[in-house]
Amino acid sequence: MDFLISSFAAALGMIGDFSPDVADAVRTSLSVSAGATVFASLIGIPLGLIVGLSDFPLKRLVVTVLNTLMAVPTVVVGLLVYGFLSRQGPLGVLGILFTPTAIVIGGVLLASPISANYALASVRGADPRILPTALTLGAGRFRAVGTLIGEIRFGILAGVIAGFGRVVSEVGVAMMLGGNIRGYTRTMTTAIALETSKGEFAFGMALGIVLMSVALFVNLFLGFLQRK
Amino acid sequence: MKTVYRLNSIRKEYGSTIVLDIEDLTIFEGRLYTLIGANGAGKSTLLNILAFLLPPTAGEIYYDGKRVDWSRGSVEEKRKKVTLLHQSPYLFGGTVFANVAFGLKARGIPGEEQQKLVEKALDVVGLREFGERKARELSGGEAQRVAMARALALSPEVLLLDEPLANIDRETAGLLEAVIASLPSQGTTVVMTTHDPDHPIRLNGASILLEGGRVVGSGRTSA
Repeated sequence: MDFLISSFAAALGMIGDFSPDVADAVRTSLSVSAGATVFASLIGIPLGLIVGLSDFPLKRLVVTVLNTLMAVPTVVVGLLVYGFLSRQGPLGVLGILFTPTAIVIGGVLLASPISANYALASVRGADPRILPTALTLGAGRFRAVGTLIGEIRFGILAGVIAGFGRVVSEVGVAMMLGGNIRGYTRTMTTAIALETSKGEFAFGMALGIVLMSVALFVNLFLGFLQRK
Repeated sequence: MKTVYRLNSIRKEYGSTIVLDIEDLTIFEGRLYTLIGANGAGKSTLLNILAFLLPPTAGEIYYDGKRVDWSRGSVEEKRKKVTLLHQSPYLFGGTVFANVAFGLKARGIPGEEQQKLVEKALDVVGLREFGERKARELSGGEAQRVAMARALALSPEVLLLDEPLANIDRETAGLLEAVIASLPSQGTTVVMTTHDPDHPIRLNGASILLEGGRVVGSGRTSA
């Protein structure tokens, strides 16, 4: 128990001192996660809305695939993208393996199904009176759909937040595609894994505290928006 | 008297179930009609068809003398003339003002004109001071009145009302009844569903009796 308490105290000290290694890992984590979340939202939200609002053959299959993609292990995504970006891979010529860009690509693949599924679930759970009400008040199809999106915006936003949470907290993609390069592609999660294996438990704990704080802040922000 | 709707052999089917089967029905301008019938008689289905929200499975509808072709552009244009107030109306998130102004915005009416029309409509339903209130924080009766104001602000040619006086307090029902009764004299055609057999008499309207999706009787009643 003394070990945990002394490590916790040391971790708080490192955060308080704003250690450059902690700052680097936090900055990299937040920037790649934010980038991945933006692109994932641009792909996932329209996809979820289109699937939710339209009827087409094989819709059930598409929904099942979207659900399944949410549960794909991060290392599988890392492996797949690694195959494409490695020197022998079809996109190897780009030379972006072991860069923050590669982590962003992996993050987009992780977060897009989450954004899509939340948007889809929001459409399905929306009050069925929204569209007929908008239409009978004279709204055209696009305005009516825009109104629906406005009414379900918190469900969609929750998907964005959940997507960010998935990317910021994963290790597999960041490790396999980023390479855990100090000051460049080292994220909070890969740093925790590395430092803990080296016996630097307090350093890992410092990053863990920051990671939990980020998750807490993001959820508080969502709650704030919902209350508005 | 000018004809607003003419329905010719209208049928609506869901799978093998026929929910509406109307051989011939004419609705004239500036009159008030009450659709009477038990649950499942087809009243709401008929209102949704008249509101151009639901195409019939078969048959023809003429609006203002022209055959309705159910193309997107055509129904969107007609929905600007016809408004349906649902039995349990939905109010959008935001203020009462934003709700009442919704249809006006969809019609591209400028801000100042919107302000006047919203205030006038809220005044009619006795909620003049409610503009900045949050719509989701209203009581059931207030919400019903806001929904009515939202429809009235558009001055529709036809106002379709699905059980507008059900499940609301007596005071609100009395107020809305008076508002509805005054509409035909302003040129608005009103078609409303009701379970109350006294409504056609009190509202001085014509009644259409539906049973099993068919019109089994119609007539004019007055107090």
